[in-house]
Amino acid sequence: MDTIRTRSLFRNLLGFALAIITIAAATGILFLLRDRLNLSTIALLYLVPLLITTTMWGRWIGIFSAFVAFLSYNYFFLQPYYTLVVHETQDIITLIIFLVVSVFISQLFGRARAALKAAVDRESETTRLYELSLALAGVSTLDEIASVLAHKINETVHTDMLELSIRPVYGETPYRLSIPVDNRMKTQPSVIIPLETVRAFLGEIRVWSRKTSLSSGDQKILRAFAAQAALALERTALTHAETRAQVLEESDRLKSALLSSVSHEFRTPLATIKAATTSLLSDEVSWEAQARKDLLNAVDEESDYLNYLVGNLLDMSRIEAGALKPNKQWNILSEIVDNVLVRLHRTIGRFRLDICIPDDLPLVPVDFSQMEQVFINLINNSAKYSPEGSLIKLEASTQNGKNLRVKIENEGPQVIPEHLDRIFDKFYRVTEPERVSGTGLGLSICKGIVEAHGGHIWAENVPGGIAFIFTLPLELDGHSPPQIEEAENI
Amino acid sequence: MNNSAHILVIDDEPQILRALRTILGGHRYRVTTARNGEEGLALAAVEKPDIIILDLGLPDMDGIQVCEQLRQFTEVPIIILSVRSNESDKVKALDHGADDYLVKPFGTEELLARLRVALRHLVKSKGEPETVITSGDLVIDLTRHLVSRSGNEVKLTATEFNLLAYLASHANRVLTHQNILNHVWGIEYRDNVEYLRVFMSQLRKKLETDPKQPVYLISEPGIGYRFITES
Repeated sequence: MDTIRTRSLFRNLLGFALAIITIAAATGILFLLRDRLNLSTIALLYLVPLLITTTMWGRWIGIFSAFVAFLSYNYFFLQPYYTLVVHETQDIITLIIFLVVSVFISQLFGRARAALKAAVDRESETTRLYELSLALAGVSTLDEIASVLAHKINETVHTDMLELSIRPVYGETPYRLSIPVDNRMKTQPSVIIPLETVRAFLGEIRVWSRKTSLSSGDQKILRAFAAQAALALERTALTHAETRAQVLEESDRLKSALLSSVSHEFRTPLATIKAATTSLLSDEVSWEAQARKDLLNAVDEESDYLNYLVGNLLDMSRIEAGALKPNKQWNILSEIVDNVLVRLHRTIGRFRLDICIPDDLPLVPVDFSQMEQVFINLINNSAKYSPEGSLIKLEASTQNGKNLRVKIENEGPQVIPEHLDRIFDKFYRVTEPERVSGTGLGLSICKGIVEAHGGHIWAENVPGGIAFIFTLPLELDGHSPPQIEEAENI
Repeated sequence: MNNSAHILVIDDEPQILRALRTILGGHRYRVTTARNGEEGLALAAVEKPDIIILDLGLPDMDGIQVCEQLRQFTEVPIIILSVRSNESDKVKALDHGADDYLVKPFGTEELLARLRVALRHLVKSKGEPETVITSGDLVIDLTRHLVSRSGNEVKLTATEFNLLAYLASHANRVLTHQNILNHVWGIEYRDNVEYLRVFMSQLRKKLETDPKQPVYLISEPGIGYRFITES
């Protein structure tokens, strides 16, 4: 503040000094030419430096110059020379003319300058607004809008502190942004400008300025900014509402697909269980030991299958909710596969198996149980669609030591190329739902798990069958697979 | 075998209680039931059962809490029987004093096997600790640091032996990864599951007839390992 005052005082003093220099220079030139000029011409010529000083430095310096010019004219050119005695009315008139010319010109220029400044201001205001609306067009979230707005306000208006508070419109959390960040002003803000549209009040801009109040121009541009930002906020809210509606509609569609798939899927094993148990409970037939055992085995198998279906549904809902956080650890792939093969022994007994996992395969960074689930679903899927006694082949390898690549190949029916991607979608089936059992979730669960591990999964048609392939990065928290030495130190 | 052991079942599902009463009664166990945690804790203190079967989802308190409170006054084996199949739930229960964990739906054979393990452990812990552990054709001599398979000595490295000895002295019980790492490698290795994986794979190659279908050293995915001494 003090520096500003000092600077303006300095600028004024400089103006006065320059005015004196200008007049002095003019006087010098006129003095040299005084023999060739008559007095009235000299008086007339004094108007030139006067014009210059007035236009350059404003009214007060203009008036000051008028006095200086008159005194010089009087001192050097009017008789008696080198005195400041005013003799005649004519000299007084010269002085008055000098003064009138200065004041008049300064006012003329002042007005022109003010008009120019207004035009420049208007132009810069328009430019700022244009820049703001351009910047707002590219953003779509609440905090982006707030930061663009705060940035532009800071560029345009001098503030000591700025606070934006934005109300949640569509479920977002209320947003507050202060510049500087942790500086809590205890005083009342200088200006509060609401962010509102015809429909709603969306928040406000609070500005603190150490000047008593902001200039009306600043307030005007702040209000224009607020209107722009409010529109952007409203647009965001509307887009949000629309996407939400779409998401709801989509999830509704999925839910009904799920319900119909699930109720169909659950009824089949339940029908077997009900039939077997009611037969056993019946007093009419006395079942032979073998028949009893068959019925009970059916109940046992079907209840396992029901449990598997429920597990699939839970996995899917976890994937949908984004709650599937793999607990990645360095594991031995063949241990996972061996575990799966033991668990699936009933299913895979009906097929020929070819497992090819090299002994020197590095440790793989995976969640043991989730990876088991991937293998279970891929092998079950192969078993479901392939003819009995056909070959299921599992191959693991590394790609440049950077990725793990696993391929599970079967001799089942091929899928037309356009559908190869879609078989990983929920409830997508190549065949009629009635013909093959399952929730239609198995492959999409595999996809969910593999992607949660940072990998990719896809299907390819291969000669005589189809292959599922997935790759996973061989990296955990930036480390490559550890080599665990047999060397003993314990 | 003397099957008149007393089992306390804490579960709020009447169907499960009914089934367990029938099944366990049929195997000549004495069964007491409790419908919530409060009642379970009271019965555990008064009746002094030999084994407790505990559900995690109880109406009045969480099963983990019940587990912790039980451990304040009794060392009775606790078998968790729950629909929660998350590894984190299992590990949490085992870390809070449970001895074993079985997921619903369960097979009766599995439950009876776990009960037998718990009972045997109970009898053992009252007597002298065993120094020689036998399982099938495998003999582990803990004091002499000797392991033999069908009478032939199996050469194990020191770490392999420590690992096997730790698992074998808690035979048939599931031990969590962290627990094993903590005891065999030391606390600073408790998160390095890869050590366990690699050494377990080496042990299987040396001890199992088919390392791909192990019968002694069984993985409990996401939880830990179990050394089996009975089929």
